[in-house]
Amino acid sequence: MKFINIASKGIKETFRDRKGFLFLMTFPILFVILFAFAFGNGFTPFFTRGSNPHEIAVINHDKGETVYLDNVIQQRDFGDSFSRLLGNATYENSSTNLFHLNNVSEDKANDMLKSRSIDALIIIPENFSGAFTSMINSSVRTEITSTVGAQAMGNIIAGQNPTPNTVAASNPLPQVGNVTAALIIKGDTGYIDFGTTQTAITELLEHYKNSVIGEATAGASVSIGMPKNPIPSDFISAEILSISGTQSFSLFDYLVPGLIVFGVLLQVSIIATSLTREIQTGTLNRLKLSKMRSFDLLLGTFISWLLITMIQVLVLIIVAIALGYKWQGGISSLWLATVIGIIAGMASISLALLIAAFVTNERQAGSLSAMIAVPMAFLAGAFMPLPKEAIGQFNGRTYQIYDILPWTHAISALRSVLTYGSGLNGDVIFEVRFLIILASILFVVGVFTFSRVRLRAER
Amino acid sequence: MDRYLLTTQSLMKEYDDLIAVDNLNLEIKEGEVFGFLGPNGAGKTSAIKMMVGLLTPTSGQVLFNGKEIGSAEKGIIGVCPQELVLWESLTCDENLTFMGNMYGIPRSILREKVNTLLEALALSDKANEEVSKLSGGMKRRLNVALSLVHDPVIVFLDEPSAGLDPQSRLLLWDFIRSLRDKEGKTIVLTTHIMEEADALSDRIAIIDHGKLLLLDTPEGLKKTIGRGDIVEIQLADAMVNKRVTTLIKSLEGIEEVKELRGRVTVRALNATSKLPQIIDLIESADGRVLDISIRGNTLEDVFIYLTGRDLRE
Repeated sequence: MKFINIASKGIKETFRDRKGFLFLMTFPILFVILFAFAFGNGFTPFFTRGSNPHEIAVINHDKGETVYLDNVIQQRDFGDSFSRLLGNATYENSSTNLFHLNNVSEDKANDMLKSRSIDALIIIPENFSGAFTSMINSSVRTEITSTVGAQAMGNIIAGQNPTPNTVAASNPLPQVGNVTAALIIKGDTGYIDFGTTQTAITELLEHYKNSVIGEATAGASVSIGMPKNPIPSDFISAEILSISGTQSFSLFDYLVPGLIVFGVLLQVSIIATSLTREIQTGTLNRLKLSKMRSFDLLLGTFISWLLITMIQVLVLIIVAIALGYKWQGGISSLWLATVIGIIAGMASISLALLIAAFVTNERQAGSLSAMIAVPMAFLAGAFMPLPKEAIGQFNGRTYQIYDILPWTHAISALRSVLTYGSGLNGDVIFEVRFLIILASILFVVGVFTFSRVRLRAER
Repeated sequence: MDRYLLTTQSLMKEYDDLIAVDNLNLEIKEGEVFGFLGPNGAGKTSAIKMMVGLLTPTSGQVLFNGKEIGSAEKGIIGVCPQELVLWESLTCDENLTFMGNMYGIPRSILREKVNTLLEALALSDKANEEVSKLSGGMKRRLNVALSLVHDPVIVFLDEPSAGLDPQSRLLLWDFIRSLRDKEGKTIVLTTHIMEEADALSDRIAIIDHGKLLLLDTPEGLKKTIGRGDIVEIQLADAMVNKRVTTLIKSLEGIEEVKELRGRVTVRALNATSKLPQIIDLIESADGRVLDISIRGNTLEDVFIYLTGRDLRE
């Protein structure tokens, strides 16, 4: 398992070379920031928004319910009450409201959600108060029975009649219904503001449930040093209703897949330089004298750089999202995009092997890599749509000259997945398959050339 | 009877117009320290690279235990190159462990070997220090350790003590001696420090322009070449150096007289007895002695005599 030792060495070297690693991560990020600034729609990164209220709309279908509270039968509308709570909630240690409630119809609210005029739409179901009532009755009943039980036990210990009549008389046992309700929090799960808004609403709902139950059970208990019963949580829940494809896409959104591939292509320079350093410093000669095989070195190098590619792709995506990148298809799209980015990274590593086979020093490796990788990014269509230059037809498809580059297919696949939310459908599978085939060919050529030129005795 | 572990047979390496190694025939005995000397560009590094299998000869061959070196088992050779060949972002321990893993050394044996080497080369305290933070001397010692972690049969040490302070050099010399005496290793040592070659080598080969000039024990070399003592004279007026040189040459028993770096250098058997005559000759040529020194013949004199970069130029 020498390749694992080599991979582990490579990872350690990359992470310990802080400046190199920083360059590796920040250079493509700088491009993402520049492109977001130049081509984004109203460039407003989330971290510049401060503690502003989240824009929401609340549609309240709650019909209200009669509830036994404070030893009195009351008509309560928990939907209204919760809506008011949303309107009045403020940031911790701040007078700034947590939410701004837009008083609109459900249709209008849906439109606003799609145009991102609001971050989330809250739909309070008609049985919201009914579910609250069931929850309260359940809590009160549990509280009374446990208190009565505790008194009876106390009487038995004291040698008295175990029948506890004081509590029972003042707290008749309420009937528990089986009404449950789900508060709908609707929005685009791929939109970061929805994420923060729904988290805040969910927490607020829990807080509200706690306070209602606390209030209801206060009069039903007798303090005898027994702990309160846990609050039942089955009656009211929060449910996320996901919609995708909110707001129109900006040029930045279109460019992000290309930027991911650009970042992966920039790795060629770092990998080629690192391999050339191994040659230049003589460490490769040390390895050649050992029992290490070419396969160990190349697979080890490959594994370590794939891991770094994965980190880079994830970082790029996270930064793009933080800068307002809008993609389709939710989290699954992001994972699929990461996998595609990693396969594109395989092609980059192979290209780096090829370059390292021919250069004699690190400077040459860096220059030649940049000379190849940057035009390659343009040719693959990372920054702009490419003109049609057909080279032939096969199986009903027309192939363009740039289809011979694996990164072209990586960008096409990433655009299908992220921009159009295609998922792993026929087109994406075709592009990914093409990408894998071309990357594999490049890998074989890279490995063969590097082994032949660098891993044999010099001539 | 001596057993030859490594032999080169008519070894040649040509690069375009340059012959780096020219018909080199060497026989290295098992368990000896074999000094391999030559001036810069003499072809030592090319020869060593061919001996360890990193460079393909133009013609000739290298045999290890009678078999072509290319077919010999990996791991029998250890190489400490002239340059520091280390993974700078790894620690000393990681460097050694990584290299041991590359030779497939079992974990328990490797751990012990790494610790032994770190201790022997006074690097135990720096075991977990990144190489980039070590001093030049420590790096040099780690460079040596890396060539030994897999317990090779023959070790090539290419200028192992370059840049070391006297303390580190003495430590390294003791270590090299212990490799030969306690572990029975065969060592091929190249160095530009003649004192080192003299102190450590059992036999020394001197090459220049890719050719073997002489191969013998250090004492044998000193006896064969450059016999006698060296007298170095600095005259008040360097203009008379040439005249004095010619006059001294005429004296009986003088092996060689040269003008070098503004001094008259005389090599002669029993030079002390010749001093009064030499001084008379200087005075007769209107010369005045500013400084005069006499010393025994050294390996450096032999080296310079053979390679022609000092006494002959």
